[in-house]
This record gives sequence, structure tokens and C-alpha cells, in this order.
Amino acid sequence: MGGAGRLLGRATDNHGLTAETLIPRVKSAVDKYILRDDPQASADVIQDFIDKLQADDLCLIVACEQGNQKAWTDLVERFSATVRSAARSASSNEEGAEDLAQSIWAELHGLRVREDGKPAGKLAYYSGRGSLAGWLRAVVAQLAIDQHRKQSRLVQTEEDADFDRIIQHGQDESTWSGHGASPNPELQISAKLAGAQVQKALAESVKQMSAEDRLLVKLYYFDGLRLREAGAVLGVHEATASRRLTRIHGELRQQVERLLIEQEGWTQPETARAFSEVALNLEADIEPLLATEPVLMKKENEVAG
Amino acid sequence: MKQANNNEVDLLLRALARERTSAAWQSGSESGDAKQVSSAHLDADEMNSYAEGVAPDPARTRYTEHLVDCEACRGIVVSLVQSAGTASRLEVPEQKGGAGFWQKLRELFSPTVLGYAVPVLLLTAVIGIGLLALRQQQRVQFVAQNEQRQAEAPSAAQNKADSGVSTAAQPQPTVQNGIKSGATTERPREKTALEDEKLQAGRGLLKPDSSVGKIAPSKDGQPAEVDSVAGLRPYALEPKAAEAPPPATVINPEKSAELAKQRSEKREDQSRDQNEEFRVQTDDVHGPNRSRNNTAQPMSQRGAGVAGGRGPSADKNKKGAYVETRSVMGRHFTREGDAWVDTAYEYSQATVRVARGSDQFRALVADEPALRTIAAQLDGVVIVVWKNRAYRIQ
Repeated sequence: MGGAGRLLGRATDNHGLTAETLIPRVKSAVDKYILRDDPQASADVIQDFIDKLQADDLCLIVACEQGNQKAWTDLVERFSATVRSAARSASSNEEGAEDLAQSIWAELHGLRVREDGKPAGKLAYYSGRGSLAGWLRAVVAQLAIDQHRKQSRLVQTEEDADFDRIIQHGQDESTWSGHGASPNPELQISAKLAGAQVQKALAESVKQMSAEDRLLVKLYYFDGLRLREAGAVLGVHEATASRRLTRIHGELRQQVERLLIEQEGWTQPETARAFSEVALNLEADIEPLLATEPVLMKKENEVAG
Repeated sequence: MKQANNNEVDLLLRALARERTSAAWQSGSESGDAKQVSSAHLDADEMNSYAEGVAPDPARTRYTEHLVDCEACRGIVVSLVQSAGTASRLEVPEQKGGAGFWQKLRELFSPTVLGYAVPVLLLTAVIGIGLLALRQQQRVQFVAQNEQRQAEAPSAAQNKADSGVSTAAQPQPTVQNGIKSGATTERPREKTALEDEKLQAGRGLLKPDSSVGKIAPSKDGQPAEVDSVAGLRPYALEPKAAEAPPPATVINPEKSAELAKQRSEKREDQSRDQNEEFRVQTDDVHGPNRSRNNTAQPMSQRGAGVAGGRGPSADKNKKGAYVETRSVMGRHFTREGDAWVDTAYEYSQATVRVARGSDQFRALVADEPALRTIAAQLDGVVIVVWKNRAYRIQ
């Protein structure tokens, strides 16, 4: 009650709300972000959490949910540009962006009616923890993905098949026994097996890393983000992300070696040799893969569009 | 060796990523990890709080675990982070987690750091010693000058009191004393005298009616005494030497004593002036001049001038600086160089750089229309504090 009162006090415009109206929303946010992970959280932690909620944004949203027309007008006026901008980012063309932006307001308001007679819109899910603008962008992005999924189910394009063929070709070319390997078939098989075992050990080692480290690996290697961008997602500076990645490389190397020695019975020199041979093969394989990457990118954009 | 190892792991990870991505496409799934996602997808609020870095730590850990496996949620979070410009906010690198005090100390004294630090320190020391020596030399000169003048004052008074004769020719021996005071100080002394004159000329102290440079007329209208400052000028010797010495004037003992007293007072004032000038000169060399404007006032006004000169109005006059200010959307800005800086901005505060016309700028002004108005009304670089964040719009 006190926290909700302080929240109202912090708001520049409380839209005529009372503390009682805010209590369910604040309680829901506390449950979601604090009590779910720590049911014994202290009162100080909860108070601190409530005091960091976005008072203005939360009051505006709750007022909209209460059916305050002035609040709705205010919301649309203030954030229509944000919604349009987010829709443009999520859509490939202006027409699609406009449709998406329009559908957002309907989603927010809610087309169905709850038991209490109020519209069941997405507004109910805004907790006030982050900014309203950011939340709206996330809602737009989610809606865009949902729409894209629906369309993808309906249309299986020929381009997808082409894309798969390109990737298949790339994969075939990038096998361990590829370019630069010895022409000796026995050695080829041996190298292929060694590469497969190293790859398997690596995948297992990645799984054993902490979630934060795995996310960095995913963002950097799988999603193709730059270190600066990956660091921003993790909330750290580019330099910190770089240091973390270097540490991850070292830890992965040790872990892979340990797995190969313990599970596959390799010796230390064998693991070292396998690493360098695999790296040599991969380096030799990079060129043809790079040649296919622009095609992949183009296809990816088309599919996303 | 370590770098090579890292490169090998780097190549392996890239290969693993390629394999997973292609496997995902082949299986027709949007995400190669989609099957592994155990928890429910994050909602928009959770993704936004994660992207803005405001999720509490335990919740954040939970979301991180989900994001590792869920490509869809990860994609949205990445796009949110990019549109919010979070990357530019993280300007201060995070310290290494396990870096203890000894490790930091070791890094501080590592050969790489010392290789740069030692020459810089040596250079700084040499410059510092040089400046100190220069300053000491100047101080010695001024001390010598003051001592000579102080020594001169009682002797001149004594002469006048004893003989009652005007000392029109006195400057010459005084200057000679000055020259004799040391060969090493002769040239700097000349320079100092020149500078003295320039300074005094600039301040109007060498005006004919100046109390320092005043020449007391004798009964017959001839100058009875010569300004001791003028007498101290070595370069004045040549024209003086060419002139015939003025006739000695006889003054009665009472007047002579009175004149001696006046002269003594003047010399005290003069000595004070010289000390003041010394301070001005050292300020010119070593730092900001705080008393220049005050010394430009006549002696009679100086006491009041000093007192008044330290007030705010005097400071304003002294600086003569006009601070350009503007108020837009309730924020107050001052002009600092090419930039408009919000008065609420603290220089320790990190800024989010936003270029006008960029996507980030459009997103920002879409969220905060007031910033659009501010950016439109203020040209050039604008540093504005908005909702506890500092933005640098340029």
C-alpha cells in the first residue's frame, strides 16, 4: 500500500488513479520479478523494486486499462511514432509496417472481454519495470514474429528449398576431410573421425558452460553479432565481452582436451595435434564458405521479409 | 601459443555454429534449439526488462538460461537492445572479475607499463626542475632589486636630511649600484626594468601626475627630485648622461626633513608597488593573474578596488564573459563552445551519443517528443539530461 502510494506520488500525472487501483498491478510485478525467484525476499528488496518502477508509464497504462479515454489519447499521441518505428524495423515494406502498427493498438486494447467486463488486452502485462516505449517495441516484435509464423505455415516457398540446397552444399564442402587434407584415404578417414570427436567434445563442453557464457557464444558465433552488440545484450562493455570470450576459449580448450583424454582415451599430444589439424582443415574450408555467405545472407533477408 | 589455441577454438566454434544453423534449416525448424527450449517464452515485459538491464539478478539469470536456447526470444532482445542504444551507454569497461589488489599492482608495474611510464616521468621531472630553476632565478633578481631599493631609501633620506641638497644626480649612482650588483644579473635586470615600465605604462602609472613618478618642483621651478623608478632604469643613463646635471637647489632644513619624510613614504609605496608587480609578473609566468585589474587602479582607489574587485559584480566585469543560456521544454542550457549543455548535466555522467537523423535518434524522439523539440531548437551538439540519462545529440 505504501509502495503504491509512493509510486503515485512519483508520477507526474497519475490520471486520477488511487493507490488501491495500482496495488494489484504492483503486486503482480513483485511476484513476477522478485517472489518467483526468492519467495523469502526482504521488505527492503521489495520496496526498492517498487521504487524503481516507471511511475508515469505504469499510471498511464493502468489508466488506459481502466478505460480512461484521455489516457488512451495520450498513449496514442505519445507512442504512435515508437510503434511505427518498431513496425518498420520488423517489416520489410511500408504497407506491412502500417498494418502491423494498426494491429498493435487493437492488441493493446484487447478484442475480447474479460470476466469483469473489461477488455483483455496486452496492457495487463506491462509491469512498469522497463520503459513503456521498450515494452511497446517488444510487443510489436512479438506480433511481427507471430504474423510471420502464420504466413510461413501457409506458404512454403521455393526459395526455402533453394536455400536448403545451398546450405547442404556448403556443409558438404566443409567436412573435416575437405580441402588441404592428405590424399591418403586412411588418413582422410582418420582425420574425419578425429574431427568429429573434437566437434562432439566441443558441443558437450559448450553445454557445460554457465548460461551467461553460453549466451555470449550463441550471440557471437551463432547469431553473428559483433562483440559490442553481444556485450550490450549481456549488459557489459565490448572490452569485457572480449575478455570473457578469450577466457571461454581457454576453458573450452581445456574441457575438450579433458573429455577427449577421459572419454576417448586420447593422449595430450594427440589432442594438441587434432586441434591443429582440425583448425588447418577449417581454415582451408573458409574460402568456399565465404563465397556462399552473401547468397545465404540474401536468402535469409528474403525469408525474413 | 595461447593465441594460437584460442584461434583453434574460435574456428571450431564457428564450424559448430555453421553446422547447427544448417541443421536447423534442413529440419525446417526456425530455431535449431527450439526443441531444447524447456521454459515458456519470455513475455514482452520480461524481454524489455532484460534488454534495458533492469531485471533483478535472479530473474535475469533465469531469462539468460532461456535466451541461450530460444532463438526467437533472443532475436527480439537483440533488436530491443539495438534500438534502445544500450551499447553506447556501456562506455566504462567492467573491471575484471577476479582481479585482486596484487594483480592490479603487478599490472601497474609490468614492464610494458613501465616502458612508457619511466620516460614520461623523467620528462616531467626535467620540465619541473627547469621551471623551478627559472622561477628561483627570477626571484633572486627581484630580491636583489628590492634590497637595493631598500638600501637606497634610507641613504637618500639621510643625504637629504643632512645636506638639504636636492639629489638630482642621484639616479646615476643608484643605477650604477644596480649595475654593479652583479654581472650575471645585469641583463635580466634591464629586462625587468623594461617590463616594469611597460607594465606601468599599461596601467597609467607613469602618468605625469602619478604619485610614484611625481617630480617635486623646487622653488625655481626646476625639478628638485627625480622619480627613483626612472632613476633605476639603466637605459635612461644614456640620455641623462648627455644632459647637463641640473643645478643644485638649496632647501632649508625644515623643508628638507619634510621632503625626506614624504619621499620615504613614497618609497614605501613604491616598494609595495614593486612587490605587487613582482607578483603580477610571476603570475604572468606561472598562472592566472588575479590582481592585474586591481593594480590598474590608482593607489588612492586601490584599497577600495581590491575589496570591491573580489565581489561577484567585479568578477563579472573582470571576466567580461557572456554566458549564453537558453531554456527549452523546461530544461536550461548553457553554451559551452559549440555545445549546448544542460545545467543538470554532470561531467562525470556517461552520455548516450545520438546522431541527428539516425535510426536511434528517430527512436529516441519518438519515445520522448520533448527531445525532438530540444534538438530542433538548439543547433549543434546538445547535451541534455532526460529521465536521469544524459544524451549527447549531435
